[in-house]
Amino acid sequence: MKINGPFVEKVLTSFIREELSKFNYKKAIVGLSGGLDSSVCAFLAIKALSPRNVIALILPYQKTFQQDVKDAQSVAKHLKIQWRIIDISPMVDAYFSKYPTENKISKGNKMARERMSILYDFSSREKAMVLGTSNKTELLLGYGTMHGDMACGINPLGDLYKTQIRQLGQHLGVPEKILKKTPSAGLWTGQTDEGELGLTYDEADKILFKLVDQMIPKKEVIGSGFKKETVEKIINLIKKSEFKRKMPPIPKISARTVGHDFLYPYDWDK
Amino acid sequence: MKIGIAQISPYLGNLKRNFELHLDYIEKSRKKKADLLIFPELSLTGYMLKDLVEEVALNPKNNPYFKKLKVLSREISFILGFVEEKEKGLFYNSAAFFSGGKILHIHRKVFLPTSGMFEEGKFFAQGKNLKTFDTPFSKIGMMICREFLHYGASYLLFAGGAEVMIILSAAPGRGVSEERFETSRMWELMGETISRFSTAFLIYCNRVGFEDGVVFAGGSFICDPWGKLVTQAAYFDKDFIFQDIDLNDIRRARKRWTYKRDDKPEIILEALKRIIREHED
Repeated sequence: MKINGPFVEKVLTSFIREELSKFNYKKAIVGLSGGLDSSVCAFLAIKALSPRNVIALILPYQKTFQQDVKDAQSVAKHLKIQWRIIDISPMVDAYFSKYPTENKISKGNKMARERMSILYDFSSREKAMVLGTSNKTELLLGYGTMHGDMACGINPLGDLYKTQIRQLGQHLGVPEKILKKTPSAGLWTGQTDEGELGLTYDEADKILFKLVDQMIPKKEVIGSGFKKETVEKIINLIKKSEFKRKMPPIPKISARTVGHDFLYPYDWDK
Repeated sequence: MKIGIAQISPYLGNLKRNFELHLDYIEKSRKKKADLLIFPELSLTGYMLKDLVEEVALNPKNNPYFKKLKVLSREISFILGFVEEKEKGLFYNSAAFFSGGKILHIHRKVFLPTSGMFEEGKFFAQGKNLKTFDTPFSKIGMMICREFLHYGASYLLFAGGAEVMIILSAAPGRGVSEERFETSRMWELMGETISRFSTAFLIYCNRVGFEDGVVFAGGSFICDPWGKLVTQAAYFDKDFIFQDIDLNDIRRARKRWTYKRDDKPEIILEALKRIIREHED
């Protein structure tokens, strides 16, 4: 699972540059949370495009995550990119004052989608492509909000596990403080990814690497020294979240159908 | 003999732009006095075509681009990859060798990878032969990408008397633990092995660039008839390299290493027939 930092940097920055140019964008926009993934994404973006072509939006809810806002600001300042803080509380609160809920997940999803909505609005205002920040661990475990933080134009980080993102971050010079930060989706105070998933990223990544990359059967993965319950939990999370990784199914009733046999490349004529 | 390798990134599904790209490389190679210029697999169309296959397909007999390319080949020989509509509605992943104002040979890909990330069998008809052909330089055999990883394909060209084997490739890279894609080594290993044990020159031309997130790995190379990798293009980046090769090296290598002289295709053929009969259901 070790990655070569300089080579991965080269491939991913070229990818960002080439995809933006194919779709006629000069600028990229990224939602900075103050966490590792979005910081790494911003570091890659400035190397790919130069700081003046990267815009960061910091999108906090209320005053609950002041430290994250400060960390995100420090990344933006360090990278010398344009940044802006937009408080999403008025929009989110307006909705929940009408349709109240105590469900933390519902609230978190609403916030993630509010951020998406603002990122896409600024994408259009600034003619900047939205860069995704979902890593391979989150994508496989389904630990992301559909049409929320999972929404993007391109996702440069999607084939790197969380622990590999940390390696890349180290290579790119992401500040130590952010590299060491406990990963959190920032859905509520005290929430941590590992706490919510009931797994450490270190363990999850090792198991996912065996199951997904090396295609080792479940039995053998358990046999190689991982707890049966943990491996089963991971497999279950992958299964349960397949819908998040696919376009929604369309009932095929015609000769040629979108998603079934109308098959064109994404980079069609680019 | 001077070989040029065009390690390009074609425009996906855009014949006109790719044709212009080819003209540019052909002209530059002509100025460099290259004898033979090699483009990668599907260089005229891009790789990840899917349903675009039929839109970019052309028939070499009546295609205007090919007409112009034939004229250009009076001054320099070149090999390119394209989608061939050999018969109406049958589309092949093909490679054409242009020389002396004509197409000397078209190879149609026999081994179409269709698993995991590859879907060629879904969109292309399967070629039926791997054969060598005479050129003003030498007897040459061509393979397209995955074919080279099926060592039976190289053997057919060896048995057919190939002195130079040329592989057009669109090979994606995978594995990032080193300063290049881990899969690049797979092609080099095969190149060193096949050239050495065929006592033939071997030229591998891969493409670069991204298509739908797939990263083509570059790293084109030439091996001499002793299996030595004599030149290599950049990994991952676009590149355009030239290399002089001495075709007399084939004779030198074959005098010393007599694999060609001692080959027994008739015994291999009979053994293969028996194997196939025995394995019939």
